[in-house]
Amino acid sequence: MSLHDTLVYINTTVESISAQFNRIPGSAIILRYVRSSYQNDPVRSLLEFCLFLFAVRYFLASKYSVAKKDFVKLSTKEVDELIDDWTPEPLVVSLDDAAKAEIEKIPVIVGQTGPKVKLATGKAVMNLASPNMLNLVSNEQMKKDAVSTIREYGVGVCGPSGFYGYQEVHIEAEKAIANFLGVPAALLYAQAFNTISATIPAFAKRGDIIVADSACGIAICKGITISRSTVRWFEHNDMEDLERVLASVQKEFKGQPLTRRFIVSEGLFENVGDICDLPRIIELKAKYKYRLILDESYSIGVIGKVGRGTSEYFGIDPNKIDMIIGSMANTMVAGGGFCAGSEYVVKHQRINGNAYVFSAALPGYLAKTASTALGIMATSPEMFTQLKQNARAFRDVINKSQYVYSPSDPESPLIHLRLKSEVLETRKIEDENRFLQDVVDECINNGVLVSRNKYVQSQEVFPVLPSLKLQVTTGLTKKETEKAAMVVKAAISKIMAKTPKIKR
Amino acid sequence: MVANKEERRRRSSSIISHVQPETIEEQIDQAALPNLNANWVHNKGAWVIHFVLIAGLKIFYDLLPGVSQELSWTLTNISYVVGSYLMFHYVTGIPFEFNAGAYDNLNMWEQIDNGDQYTPTKKFLLGVPIGLFLISTHYTHYDLGMFVLNCIACMCVVIPKLPSSHRMRLTVPDVLSSSS
Repeated sequence: MSLHDTLVYINTTVESISAQFNRIPGSAIILRYVRSSYQNDPVRSLLEFCLFLFAVRYFLASKYSVAKKDFVKLSTKEVDELIDDWTPEPLVVSLDDAAKAEIEKIPVIVGQTGPKVKLATGKAVMNLASPNMLNLVSNEQMKKDAVSTIREYGVGVCGPSGFYGYQEVHIEAEKAIANFLGVPAALLYAQAFNTISATIPAFAKRGDIIVADSACGIAICKGITISRSTVRWFEHNDMEDLERVLASVQKEFKGQPLTRRFIVSEGLFENVGDICDLPRIIELKAKYKYRLILDESYSIGVIGKVGRGTSEYFGIDPNKIDMIIGSMANTMVAGGGFCAGSEYVVKHQRINGNAYVFSAALPGYLAKTASTALGIMATSPEMFTQLKQNARAFRDVINKSQYVYSPSDPESPLIHLRLKSEVLETRKIEDENRFLQDVVDECINNGVLVSRNKYVQSQEVFPVLPSLKLQVTTGLTKKETEKAAMVVKAAISKIMAKTPKIKR
Repeated sequence: MVANKEERRRRSSSIISHVQPETIEEQIDQAALPNLNANWVHNKGAWVIHFVLIAGLKIFYDLLPGVSQELSWTLTNISYVVGSYLMFHYVTGIPFEFNAGAYDNLNMWEQIDNGDQYTPTKKFLLGVPIGLFLISTHYTHYDLGMFVLNCIACMCVVIPKLPSSHRMRLTVPDVLSSSS
């Protein structure tokens, strides 16, 4: 084949291709586009062409997932084998001995609860195990109001507050709480436990910072977990440590976008019984620009001149506390909880407090009895004087015990008793809770109903120290309280006498 | 160990960083509810609106007195690019409150299809700015200045869409806020 033939062949091929190309519909447009876009600028045309090629490549690429696969692919045979091997666990696991013993030891009260109750065993005992500190359980006015409210509104509403759940009595209770505490507004939650664990996540979100006391109760810890906030703990009631934590947070998050910051503490600590150093906390919160969420579940109706809680105890304006959380299920002997604060704080929770929005509202009679309880408290400061006296009387007796000490505030009617560390060192006590349970049983046998502080350690953030949890009440006279204290002290001594000493 | 890693990352002066992988908690929160912030892009209307917006912008710029065809196309392209950059690559998180802030670190492009690459929607969203660029350079009659402007604008939205820039962040070192 000569050179001429080759050229002719190439020529005809090119011609036939271009003819074919011209026959494709729209080819003229492409040709015109290419021709006009070339415009003697090969670099630009190349750039555009590359971009076009890239787009085509992107379109033709197949989809893939960036998420790492965290599962193993099993064959049908393997799946069958696994199914054959599997034996279902019982729906209800049979109890182990410790759990059985625990359930057996739960005392059952027959009849109405109060300062003096009758157990199912037939024994009459003084009740130091219920938070009925002001003995409002036995108050006739409370009973009357509960009955009349049930007659009028029935026993429950079965709807969330925003959905026909709120009745006149609820609005009244909110007003009563706000007036009693001296803050602009309040709102009711249907469960005391859920109150703080709904309030915290209503305000604090991921990226926000919470500085919390390490002795905070389980409800607070759960609320913090749900909020997904960054949490920093400070030593229980150690204001120097609080300041250190606040300063370290300030340093750590310097230069980052500003987020909401909260200090969370309890008024009267449920697991300890002491009172937070509110004046210092308020000082620090102002200095470092934090908001304060204070759980006063055990302090409202307990401390202060007429039971307005920590703010009254220290003589501080309650409006300086951003969110006051309280329980109506403790001394107010009703049910549910509340959050009090500014109008904004309350309004925000009406649509953002999960427990408020999604739980059926508090039964009307509990809202009513809560208002009644507040009315009684506000007009009878003598109850609180007596409560303080009883608490002091109890402590005076128990302080003489050589085995236990109380971390609680001297005037707190909530009293925790822990074994002294030297006792734990010298005595052969394998399980502290077991020992305390023996003390509880001994107390009940001698006519005083007390309780251990019960908690589930696996759910707690920090270890809770085992203790006896006693709640002094005005339903018992000073003499009776002293007698009960003697019984508790004697029971501890008696059980201790049975416990062998560690030989050195 | 995590703290060490963070420290190391902070100390390096690199301006390129990657968003940390999600913790278990964040993964749970992300999966808690469908991501309404990113899922609407699959709808037909969401595809059509791109063309409607581009046509609208073009008409708007044509109506302005004293704007030439070249400038009008360039402005259309740049407006579209700025809008889509802000929407898909600049703003992070979700405007609604139902994932407890689990998507706070991710922009919308990274939220689409849970970060899967080369999905139909992503192909479409990448194709639109490239097509718009080719058209606008064509109608600007290949004026060099306009071409460079349009090209840079196009690159600004194409590069962040590449799989290799997934979860990548460019940070301008801030001298003032650097802690000791």
